[in-house]
Parts: sequence; structure tokens; C-alpha cells
Amino acid sequence: MKRWLTLSLLLATVVAMGLRCPRLGQRPMHNDEAVNALKFRQLWERGEYRYDPKEHHGPSLAYATLAAERLTDAPDFDHLTEARLRFVTVVFGVGLVLLLPLTADGLGRRAVAWAAVFTAVSPAMVFYSRYYIHEMLLVFFTFLMMVASWHYWRSRKIGWALLAGAAIGLMAATKETFVITLGSAGLALFLNQIWNRLLDASKPPASVPRLRPGHLAAAFAVWLAVAALLFSSFFTNASGPLDSLRTYGPWLNRAGGDSPHIHPWDFYLHRLVYFHAGKGPMWSEALILMLGIIGAGAGFVRKGLGDGNASFVRFVALYTLLLTAVYSLLAYKTPWCLLSFWHGFILLAGVGAAVLVHTVRRPFARIALTILFLAGAGQLAAQAWQASHDYSADPGNPYVYVQTAPDILNLVDQVTALAEFSPEGHRMVVKVMADEGDYWPLPWYLRRFERIGWWAEMPPDPWAPVMIVSAKFGAALDEKKTHRMVGIFALRPGVFFELYVDAGLWRDYMAKRPAKTD
Amino acid sequence: MKISYDSSRRRLGISFCLSIALAVLNCCLGADSPQPAAGADAAQSAAGGNLVPLDIKLPSPAFKGTPKEIQLSSFVEPLSDKPRPPMMVPPGLTNLAPAAKLTCSDKNATSDMLAKLTDGDKEASDTSIIFLRKGTQWVQMDFGSPCEIFAIVIWHAHNAAKVYHDVIVQAADDADFITNVHTIFNNDQGNNSGLGVGTDREYFETHEGKLINAKGIKTRYLRFYSKGSTESALNEYTELEVYGRPAK
Repeated sequence: MKRWLTLSLLLATVVAMGLRCPRLGQRPMHNDEAVNALKFRQLWERGEYRYDPKEHHGPSLAYATLAAERLTDAPDFDHLTEARLRFVTVVFGVGLVLLLPLTADGLGRRAVAWAAVFTAVSPAMVFYSRYYIHEMLLVFFTFLMMVASWHYWRSRKIGWALLAGAAIGLMAATKETFVITLGSAGLALFLNQIWNRLLDASKPPASVPRLRPGHLAAAFAVWLAVAALLFSSFFTNASGPLDSLRTYGPWLNRAGGDSPHIHPWDFYLHRLVYFHAGKGPMWSEALILMLGIIGAGAGFVRKGLGDGNASFVRFVALYTLLLTAVYSLLAYKTPWCLLSFWHGFILLAGVGAAVLVHTVRRPFARIALTILFLAGAGQLAAQAWQASHDYSADPGNPYVYVQTAPDILNLVDQVTALAEFSPEGHRMVVKVMADEGDYWPLPWYLRRFERIGWWAEMPPDPWAPVMIVSAKFGAALDEKKTHRMVGIFALRPGVFFELYVDAGLWRDYMAKRPAKTD
Repeated sequence: MKISYDSSRRRLGISFCLSIALAVLNCCLGADSPQPAAGADAAQSAAGGNLVPLDIKLPSPAFKGTPKEIQLSSFVEPLSDKPRPPMMVPPGLTNLAPAAKLTCSDKNATSDMLAKLTDGDKEASDTSIIFLRKGTQWVQMDFGSPCEIFAIVIWHAHNAAKVYHDVIVQAADDADFITNVHTIFNNDQGNNSGLGVGTDREYFETHEGKLINAKGIKTRYLRFYSKGSTESALNEYTELEVYGRPAK
């Protein structure tokens, strides 16, 4: 690898880390992050994991976290932090940059350098790298599959085939939507082969032996073995592998519209290209989209690709366009799903930037264009920083979706402070009552309480020293003066909790607590 | 005194029978009562503080999928759909706020900005709302001379479902709030702003505003405190109305 390319990748990795790592625990845990964290708790404390075919995706996130926490000598679950959990997805987000050199003979070396820059600074990539959900793992394993398949295609060495098989197994064990990725990749491969045969003379090098069915069978076996290993929770859950197939029933219903996450076709593109809500700033990753379209075009016209491979670029373009179309047409949409196709656009943007710089002949213009693209990347990095920090929980951020309000941390602080004053400490009884069980991520934040109960409706006996009650219930548990309603706190925009505290406990707390300083 | 032998024997017999009956009754009742030793133990435990708390099995959290995104500006709480009952006040009161001099703890708030608080525009649009800095902030009204205040209405911001924290309204005789300070409303139950422990409830912002009964308090100065909302650490104000009359 050339020194300038190594240096570019190193710089991109540093930038990627610099944007992803600071203040990882700042944003309140999202509902889904807390669910994933509590599922990991079962694995961490009891060595148990059971795949749920109805919800919560595959086991790879929990096992990746287990590996990370064991390697880093993590504390017990009560003392585990948001930052520790989110660092797992950061590793996979940065891993996308580190995998890029393996595509140098496909995208071209200059394109790889640009793609590394755009991967590092893309606000969507940065924001969701700091999100303890499955999406970044799916994108990483997909890219690993793509890289390994490309190298197998070029070399026909069985090692690459086995790696590709393992990557598909990991994709399967990450998220059910891997079938969309795999289907799009398969169709893109087919269409690209037709293009190669009918419109392009480029073929695999003559020295490469023919595709061997044995290699493909071995790759398929590794795929199944990896998926079975993880879905069966390392042979402790016999129904896991079968559940990994049964899961498509509920998920197909959701994809067809039986879900609260039904959005119009332009939901993703609206967030990526131009998003402006309320008094917040304007957000756009249009530069990546524009360069991606140029890169895709270059693959089809085979111009300006330098040391890149037109067939590979074309495959990436077809795969990306198909994936974008499928995700846009599916009624079920959550914004993090865009990462799968957006990563394709980022690879193509790398090609697009390299093509444009390569096409310009005058050295001065070439330098000017390079500076222009770097400035664009800098602006994307600034957006990524804003999205991850100042606007990390703000509905004006295009990537924020049903995000927990920071105000809920005030409730958590209050309940924790009460426990410190209660003679029972964290054995103080706390009852949480929320309509339809809408109390997440509180189970994460209140995990140290040993005697905490959770209800999806008002129970016959709601009384306890501390009661956290959905405002929807209009509970008025302070009418008898045995308790005080000491505040209303927002869980999310439009979702509120009332905090009721035993009158005696509150009196003692107010009398003994140290004075607050602002 | 002559006592007959027969009557003495009869009394002795009755006494004997009563004694036996009482003894039997005592034994029977004793069998149903707590054992003296056990009762003593319980009393000892209570005195020594060795009671064990009743360990109630509480339900575990049920894992849940991604919740539904709720559009901003839509109220989801069961807010009353009935109009607020009118407050009974003496006749002839006027809104004193437009004529009052406004000042503020946030030095970035200009007089033009503060004028919006008394311009009669109570709409939920961005142009009607002013923003004050994070933390505890106040807006102060100076009526120029003492007034009798009967009703205060506060609109922080009703552009979305939200609750303002640590809302306090105080009256005083001097601009620095040192002399004759009275708290009219205080829902800062945790005393987070250091102005005393509040006893009023927090409330949802609505288009009706928060109506506070000032009970005819005589004052020249009013201060309105808040410390951010469930939505943001910033402090929003849309409108303030103060109904009263010049003090006699």
C-alpha cells in the first residue's frame, strides 16, 4: 500500500475515532438501546441469551458486547456505563474505515482514501456508531461480506469464500433485514454479470480458475454454522435456529404496514438530503449523494476510474440503488435502516470524488477541487459533531427518532437521591406504572433498585414509597396527602411521568439533603 | 351476729364452683391466645428493630420494541376539554402588566424582547415566544406604585406538550426582593432554586395559561421564576397578565 494511502487511512481513522468517542454517555439511552442493554444483562450475569423471534433482532450485538466487556475487564452490570456499551458499536463504525484498503483494487486507491474520509465524517455514520443498536454491526458485516466476496471473485482462494460465508452468518445473526441486503447484492451481481457480458469486455483475469461449487458449498456451510452457533446461544437454546426462520412472520407483517413506523417513500432521502425542523440548523449530506451518483455513473461509463475496477464499482452502484429502492418502498421505516444503503453511497462518493479530481487536468484546479471536497468533508464533520453533541436528543436532528428526553435524567437523579436518604437504600420499593409498558429506558437507569416493579396499567395496589406513574393515568395519588407529587418529567416528547413520593420520606429527604448549588 | 351453718356451706360451695369455672374459662381462653413467650419475642423484636421487611414480588419489566414517534405540537395527555371555571374577583380590575416596567435576570434579553411578554400575543408561534438562558431565570414587573393583585396568568409556551419546572411567583416591596417578600405560587418542591420548598403542583402548559389566585396581595413588584422545562433547559415566556387595581 502506498504511503499516502496509509497516511490518509490513518488520518481518517483518527478523525472517525475523534468524532465517535467523546462524551459517549451524554445522550440519554434510547428505548431500543436500553432493551439491548438489559438483554445483555442476562448474558453477562447469568450466561443466558435467548433469541426472541418477535422483537429485538439477533444475538450478535449481545455476544460482541460480551467479548468487549470480558476483554476490557468490565465491572458488574450495575456499574456498567452507557459509554462502555456504545463503544462496542463505535468499534464497528471505525472498522468500516479499516476494511476499506481491502477494496483498493476494486474502488481504486484514491477512491478508497476519499471513501475513508466520507465514512469517518458522515453524520449518519457517526451518529449511529454511537448508538447501542444492531445497525452498525449489520453494515460492518455486510461490508466484510462484500470485501471477502470481491477477493474470492478475484483470487478463487477458499479462505475468502469461508470469510464471506462467516460474514453472512454474522449478518443473519445481527438483523433480520440482512435478507434485503443479500437479495439486493445477489440481484446486483446478476445484473452486473449481464452488463459485463453484453456491454463490457471486462472479465475476471484469465489466470483465475473457474468458480468451484465446493468452495461455495463450504462458504454456505460456514454461513449456516456461524448463524446456528449464535442463534442457538452456543448450543444452549435448541429452538434458536428455527426461531431465526420463524421471525420472518412478524417482520413481514411489519414491513407490510402493521407497525407504528410507517412512513412515506422519501423518509430516508428527506433526512439525508435536506432536513430542517423548528429553530434547529439545516442538515444535509447531499455532497455524499451527489458524489455517489457521479461515482456510480463513472462505473457505468468506465471513465476516470484510475486503478479502480469498473465491474466492482458498477456492482456497488447497482447494489446501492437496489437497496435504496427496496428500503424506500418498504412501508416500515426507522431512520437507522438507511445506514445499509448509505454506506454504498459513501463508497461511490469516494469513487466520485476521485474521478472528478482525476478528470481535472490542470494541477491548480486539481488542488482547488481537493481543497473543496475536504472543506465539504469538514462541513460534514461539523454536522456530525453537532448531531452527536448539541443536538443528540433534539427532534430537530434528522437522525433522532423517538429519543428519550434528557429531562428523564432529572427523574432518575431524584429517585436515586431519595434512595440514598431512605433507610432501605436501593432496597426501597419503587413502583413504575406506564400505559402499555411505555417505561423504557427506565429499567436501565433504575437497574440498581432491587425491589422495583413494572406495570402496564394501574395495579389495584399502587402504593409504595416511590411511585413513577404515567401522566396519562391522571392518577392523583397525592389526594390523600400520604404522598406528594414532586414533579412531572418527560420520557419523550409528549410522554410524561409523575413522580409521587411518600410524604414522610420526602420530608426527611428535604430536611437532610445537602444544599444544591447551581 | 348469727350465721347459719347451711348458708355458710352454700356460699363456700358457690365460691368453689365459681373458682373452678373461672379456672377452666381461663385455660380455654389461654389456648386461643398467643403464647406468652411468643408475644414477648415479638415485642422484643420490635423494640430491638429486628423486623424483617415484607419482600413483595414485583413484576419485571416487559421488553418492548421501538415506540411510536409522536409528532410535535400534539397533546397526548388527558387534559381537560372543559373550559376552566372562572375565578371570582372584585369588579373593575384591569390587566396591569402592559403598563409595568419589565426587567429580567438574563442580560441578553433586551427591552424589545421583554415587551413581547405583555403585548397581548399569546399564540404558540415562534414569533410570540422569547427565550431566556438555562438555569433559574426570572422576569420582574414594576408597577410603579403598590397595587392590589388578584389574579396572575402565565403562558410559558404552549407550542408542545411540556411542563415548566420550579415555577415561582413572588411579590416584594423593593426591586431587589429583600423587603416583605411573599411567595404567591411555588411548585419547586425540591427547592432547586433556593427560594423555599414549594407546595404547589407542576402543571402542563396549555393555551389557557396558568391562572394563579393572588388573593388581593398588595405589592409594587412581582417576580416570575422558572428553571427550564421537560423539553429544554432554556426558559420560554409567551405572555404574562396581572389583574389588579391601584392600592388604596
